[in-house]
Amino acid sequence: MNEQDRTFEIQVKATFDESVGALDAATLSKLNRSRHAALAELQQPRRQWSRWMPATGVAAAALIAVMMLQSPAVFDDVNGPTAVTDMEILLGEDSIEMLEDLEFYSWIDIAESEGDVG
Amino acid sequence: MEVSTSVFAVSCAGTPTTGIRALQKERQLNQFLAEVERRALRIAEIGVRDRDEALDLVQDAMIKLVRNYSDRGTDEWAPLFYRILQNGVRDWHRRQAVRNRVMVWFGRKPSEDSDYDAIAAAPDTSGRAPDEELQNSEAMQSLETAVHELPARQREAFMLRTFEGLDVAGTAVAMGCSTGSVKTHYSRAVHALREKLEEHRPGDYGPRVGER
Repeated sequence: MNEQDRTFEIQVKATFDESVGALDAATLSKLNRSRHAALAELQQPRRQWSRWMPATGVAAAALIAVMMLQSPAVFDDVNGPTAVTDMEILLGEDSIEMLEDLEFYSWIDIAESEGDVG
Repeated sequence: MEVSTSVFAVSCAGTPTTGIRALQKERQLNQFLAEVERRALRIAEIGVRDRDEALDLVQDAMIKLVRNYSDRGTDEWAPLFYRILQNGVRDWHRRQAVRNRVMVWFGRKPSEDSDYDAIAAAPDTSGRAPDEELQNSEAMQSLETAVHELPARQREAFMLRTFEGLDVAGTAVAMGCSTGSVKTHYSRAVHALREKLEEHRPGDYGPRVGER
């Protein structure tokens, strides 16, 4: 990084800081409220649902097993793997929206790498 | 500063040390968030070009930091906070892309960046000379547009390093990549921005890239 780049950085930072320092009162008030809402989280008890996760997983697996025994035709060679994949998606941590949007991810990867080249 | 009475109640119920520690933690978090919130808002706003959306993203990042990482060391908060915020900005763009696709499907015009009114969102500059006000507003507008047009990773690296002042290691944590990648993205961003800004506003940001 040369001297000109550093000068540029300083000028850009000054312009940015100027805009930060001049935020209007309504926006600052909203930020203040957001901060207090976030700090209120400290008083919230830890979420209890995570404790039930293993039990939920076992229950879901049992339900699938019962369904397979009750109507094996539904879980034939064609549908079986798909159904299991669906369950993985539903039980997984990734958002369904993200999984629906794989095409967009591949596009953004390409766009980013092209941007990097340019 | 507001000191929550419920925290005090917890401290009375538990051991005194635990209560004091909880109060201290709350004070530290309050101070940290108050320090970063304005810059974080402007960074998110440049990323999504909508102040209300940016406010929501900042609030989400604050809540997630407090909920999940309040026990971490105070020096880890800034990279973690910005990592959460950057993820939020990326998710926002993904949702926006899906929404736009659906809008196109139903034959409606997708929302575009051009809807964003940079002048309406410009900061309150009351108390300054009109010339100075206009100059600052225009400089910020050009900078904001140029930064927004950078590729996503370059934009993140540039904003975290220059606007927030994170070091290379902190930026790498916030971006979830190596320090080498941060340096590459940052260097490309600086060059691209200098070229772009000098093209539109010669003299405002130092000599032209080619004139060194």
